[in-house]
Amino acid sequence: MQTDFQAEQAEDQPIVRCLLGMLGTDVHSKGIRTIAQLLREAGVEVIYLGEHNSVQGMARAAIDEDADLVGLSFSSAAYVEYTRQLVAEMKRIGADDIPVMLGGIIHPDDHQALYDMGVRGIFGAGSKTADIIAFVRSMGRPR
Amino acid sequence: MGSLADAILAGDRRAAGRLISLAESRTSDARDELEILYRHGGHARTIGVTGPPGAGKSTLVDGLIARLRARGLTVAVAAVDPSSPYSRGAVLGDRVRMMRHADDAGVLVRSMATRGALGGLSAATGDAITIFDAMGFDIVIVETVGVGQSEVDIVGHTEAVLLLQTALGGDDVQAIKAGVLEIADIMVVNKKSAPGSDRMARFLRESLHDRPLRPDAWTIPVLLAEASEETGLDEVIDALFGRLDHNRQDTHMSAIRRRQAAAHLTALADVEIRTLMRRLIAGQTRPEAWQAVLERRSGPYSLAARLFEQLR
Ligand SMILES: Nc1nc2c(ncn2[C@@H]2O[C@H](COP(=O)(O)OP(=O)(O)OP(=O)(O)O)[C@@H](O)[C@H]2O)c(=O)[nH]1
Ligand SMILES: [Mg+2]
Repeated sequence: MQTDFQAEQAEDQPIVRCLLGMLGTDVHSKGIRTIAQLLREAGVEVIYLGEHNSVQGMARAAIDEDADLVGLSFSSAAYVEYTRQLVAEMKRIGADDIPVMLGGIIHPDDHQALYDMGVRGIFGAGSKTADIIAFVRSMGRPR
Repeated sequence: MGSLADAILAGDRRAAGRLISLAESRTSDARDELEILYRHGGHARTIGVTGPPGAGKSTLVDGLIARLRARGLTVAVAAVDPSSPYSRGAVLGDRVRMMRHADDAGVLVRSMATRGALGGLSAATGDAITIFDAMGFDIVIVETVGVGQSEVDIVGHTEAVLLLQTALGGDDVQAIKAGVLEIADIMVVNKKSAPGSDRMARFLRESLHDRPLRPDAWTIPVLLAEASEETGLDEVIDALFGRLDHNRQDTHMSAIRRRQAAAHLTALADVEIRTLMRRLIAGQTRPEAWQAVLERRSGPYSLAARLFEQLR
């Protein structure tokens, strides 16, 4: 059975699927829960992976879930290394075309290095919700 | 045409993910690919897991995957969570319970949002089963959204329906009122350390005992489990294999296959008809007709009748 679910939205507008999670030992999941909720309200399908994910598990999830982008949240200092590992793993399994976005406590000094690795969006502390949403929406592919 | 299907038949998980997304957005390209894949299927055994929100469905699926893998079987999961009817967005939170299998190539989990479907699944769930089946997965598990009293689409799509209950979710009257009781092939009272679990199981067994024999002569086991502690799951697996064995008898299998095809067909037709209706209401209803209803010179009844006339 179907409801009139899509009636108010343009039917050709793709629904963005965004993987959201934390890597390694990071344990500050309140931030990503808030983001998950906000993205849901903005019409995004969030595949919520929570904390303690492995780099391999996250990369494989991006493939199996046909994610339009991967969002990582960090609260520890090891984010440059973790991001490097994830990007390398995604490349190894042929998922390097899926954009990666970072959030959390990311020092401005590291931005360039992260962008150089291929990170597409960085939303540190103090980022505007509207900017995050606009970025995520812009990652939708035509169906 | 057929290039996605070819890749999927060769085991390409990226292509499989892509085609499920295409099926979810109901593009016509998806149809041709699925048509090819459907012809390669029919081998996977299908299990449905349903029950109220938070009963422990995903946790149980996680435990089942571990046990099925230990028997050397490959497992694909389609896990459905609800879309917001307002924003179309969703937080798909089933996979997070199954992350310990994330590195296992013998396991594929796909999260799906209902996207407006009301039966506890999404319109593309049947398509996901088609794809996993064609890829050669031995077992396909479908987890429904947290169900209330009427979301029973799972019955058509799978041959063994596991219904989770907990003693935390209301009293006996609610247990018998809930239409979902009629759909179970196996019942599991999960979170069994919660007070009232034994009583709940006893009550369910008694209610089932009083029911007439099912057409397929299957007797529904009622089990107790603590999915988060992996307690009672071996019994659940045994009951599942019992059910799958039972289904192997030709007469049962042909009934199940017919039911599956009908469920799939209904899901597909449903989307088409809704789309058609929407287009009719939005496009073909003349403004004067609307105006007449708004001013109560005529009613929505005659307007609806006229719209249906165009559908016939
Ligand atoms: N005490 C206890 N908690 C459990 C048990 N099984 C699951 N849980 C917990 O119950 C919560 C919900 O579990 P899920 O497996 O996500 O439940 P679900 O039925 O899949 O939930 P939805 O998909 O949202 O409907 C989690 O916190 C689990 O850890 C159990 O047997 N005992
Ligand atoms: Mg669940």
